[in-house]
Amino acid sequence: MFDYYLRLALIRCRQNLPMVSLLVLTMAIGIASCMTAMTVFRALSGAPLPGVSPYLYVATMDAREAVDKDDPGYKRPDSLLKLLDAKALVDAHHAAQQVAVAVAQSLAQFGSPDGKKSTRAYGLMAYGAALQAFGVPLRYGRPWTEAEQSSDAPVVVIDTHVAQKLFGIDDAVGRSVTLGKRSFRVIGVIAPWKPRMQIFNLGQNSGSVMGQDENFFVPAQASLDAGVGPFTSGECGKGAPVISFQSAAVTQCRWMETWVRLDTPEQANAYGQFLAGYANAQHDAGRFAYPPRAKLYGTQAWMTQNHAVPDDVHLNLMLAGGFLLLCLVNVAGLLAARFLRRQADVAIRRALGASKRDVFVQHLVETGLLGLIGGVLALPLTWLGLWIVRMQPVSYADAAHFSPGVFVILFALSVAVGLLVGILPAWRVCRQPPALQIKLA
Amino acid sequence: MRHIVKPLFRHRMMPLLVVLQVALACAIACNALFLLQQKLVPIVTPDGVGNPDRLVVAWNIAPRGQPWPTSRLGQVVSELRAIPGAASASVAGSWPMETMAQMNGDVLGEGTHAAKADAAIYIGIHLVDTLGLKLVAGRDFSATEEGVAYKNIGMGASGPAIITRALADRLFPDGDALGHVVRIGDQAGAGRRTVVGVVEHLMRNKFGQDDREDVDYSMLFPGVPSNWPVPVFAVRVRSVAQVGEALKAFKATIKRDLGPDMVQGFDPVLESYGDLRDRALAQSKAAVWLLAGVSLVVLIVTLVGIMGLTSYWVQQRTRHIGIRRALGAQRRHILRELQLENLLVVGIGVLLGLVSAYAINLWLMRHYELARLPWTYLPYGAALMLLLGQLAVLSPALRASRVPPVVATRSV
Repeated sequence: MFDYYLRLALIRCRQNLPMVSLLVLTMAIGIASCMTAMTVFRALSGAPLPGVSPYLYVATMDAREAVDKDDPGYKRPDSLLKLLDAKALVDAHHAAQQVAVAVAQSLAQFGSPDGKKSTRAYGLMAYGAALQAFGVPLRYGRPWTEAEQSSDAPVVVIDTHVAQKLFGIDDAVGRSVTLGKRSFRVIGVIAPWKPRMQIFNLGQNSGSVMGQDENFFVPAQASLDAGVGPFTSGECGKGAPVISFQSAAVTQCRWMETWVRLDTPEQANAYGQFLAGYANAQHDAGRFAYPPRAKLYGTQAWMTQNHAVPDDVHLNLMLAGGFLLLCLVNVAGLLAARFLRRQADVAIRRALGASKRDVFVQHLVETGLLGLIGGVLALPLTWLGLWIVRMQPVSYADAAHFSPGVFVILFALSVAVGLLVGILPAWRVCRQPPALQIKLA
Repeated sequence: MRHIVKPLFRHRMMPLLVVLQVALACAIACNALFLLQQKLVPIVTPDGVGNPDRLVVAWNIAPRGQPWPTSRLGQVVSELRAIPGAASASVAGSWPMETMAQMNGDVLGEGTHAAKADAAIYIGIHLVDTLGLKLVAGRDFSATEEGVAYKNIGMGASGPAIITRALADRLFPDGDALGHVVRIGDQAGAGRRTVVGVVEHLMRNKFGQDDREDVDYSMLFPGVPSNWPVPVFAVRVRSVAQVGEALKAFKATIKRDLGPDMVQGFDPVLESYGDLRDRALAQSKAAVWLLAGVSLVVLIVTLVGIMGLTSYWVQQRTRHIGIRRALGAQRRHILRELQLENLLVVGIGVLLGLVSAYAINLWLMRHYELARLPWTYLPYGAALMLLLGQLAVLSPALRASRVPPVVATRSV
């Protein structure tokens, strides 16, 4: 029966080609615009570190130590802490099996020991077990130990990219590299690693949406001792925000973020209380000038808070969704007109014994087919849409790429659209009793 | 009227679908066009910079470690002024169209009530000359004023200021801005700036949800901002022919004077103001094209949809129309009836659409940084949709009016 309906549908499609192409094109444009916006949205949403970031939390508190009247933009506590506070939080080991890490992004020049080769790399200065906390895949060697960290030993973990640049091999464990004024021993080599989206220092990183490669991890104090500081120093002023770049003199600055890995909401609650306790104690001791309003944010909440996914992406998705809805209503109307024009045929079929259900299914098959053709047409249109997005001067342009997942969604969407728009017209056409239809005809 | 309304109730589906379509299209188009208009603002509003082809700018310059002392920045400026062909040279904390470094603040006019504005603050030396601003009242800063040494950036300090006409009108609606005081922020210890001059235009370098007025809210403060890590340098050249050469000398000067202390990974950008402007506005321009395209497609889809539905609706009533013609109705009666009917149906859709456009805008405002849809927008949206409806009904209605009376005697 199904293939008979399919044949019927094909014949009918050929009968009124301009109308059919209009229907199909409208559906295709609607589907394609929705798919384009959805692709971009999907690329920018979801966990920035799959499997890890749902358990990552960042600590925020108002840790300003002087009254700051020059910064009307300071509306809620940010995530920047002094190294002193970050250390205190991490060393408290308040998260039982979890790890806390304080990070700041840095740009450093790496040199091979003979000074012949060098490369510039972005990485993280950390206090605590950074690799474990972020689930960074270690290829060779090991992360630094607490003993190494507390003795400020010059050790560093680099990625294979830097290892290849400097030594021509992946396994660079045991070699030494120069970083700033000192020589560091490579104790571990990681696979190239980057978060899908930018998650570090969101307050000052508002321009960049996509994550960047973190080519190395280095203990913060050892790095500072070697004269390599964070890329931006956060806020160092007494009473006014002063930002400086690549300075190792950051004792007076709030420049580190503290990330904690907590497995259950209960643990998160407990840690939040610990955090508030710490911050309030600092305020009571007179260090923090303002009530600290300490709060623990989950990664996703923190990203939402900081508009890590640009508003434009959301707005475009809504616009595209609304547009698809409009296209659906439009096609439903045109289909209804198309079906009702053929009431005479339906009446004859009904009179010859076809049940309402048969007529309904027959029309649904036809609209499903139209939807499918629309979906096939939407494929190149989506590709075109993504190309247009890539041409746009926006920071997330690179995210607009066609993926197999998108293809599946597209296919499902087009069939769903076809059936959805068909329901009302098909129901409408099979509703009238056959006698009346024949009479009308 | 009754014979127009009644059939609509008898066959509810067709009119309902038109109403729904129009409502949806209206809600989408109103919001999309509103977004478009906002993106268009910085593109079409004059930025106040005179002879942009003779201005070259150097930015993305940052020191390693502590910000450069102001004396050193001043030294660079005096060397820049010695470049052959240079008419004027400046250093500033931020620059029009350069959005990386921004200084913005809520400013209030002293003595007036409720006049508050979010204005960009440009702190630097010789800005009026280098930017080529047009003074419409008052004077430029004096050499003494330019020589001020700030303890900090200078945003919160007191002193003289030059403001744009738009800002002057906003803060001092009586038109007497000169000599009055603008307070930087509403705190007790906020800086007080006496207005010494008013310039015609100067665009702020923070683009967001603007209308034509507030994108022109800017202030100039004299002096070099201290403790500011990202200074911007600029040179105004005497003639366009000298731009290329001046750019080269400019680059050399910056590299020689500041290069050794610059941050790694940042490369200074030296370009003409026109290029800077083009790049700053590229995103807005792209968004304008996108939104214009979407709006256009929405309107076309709606047009086609109404057309298709109406022609079916007309075809179905061919017999009725034939009977009416046989009973003496003239062609224009039939035409007008169908147009009136369309007006009615589309009108209901428009009403629904405007309400939902407004509701959507309110919802968006709550969740995103969006401005309120001005109500003046709604009549335009309504007119547009009604016009669209009339356009769509024209061809089916004409066809209907040509139905010969003899149809009534046939069974269709």
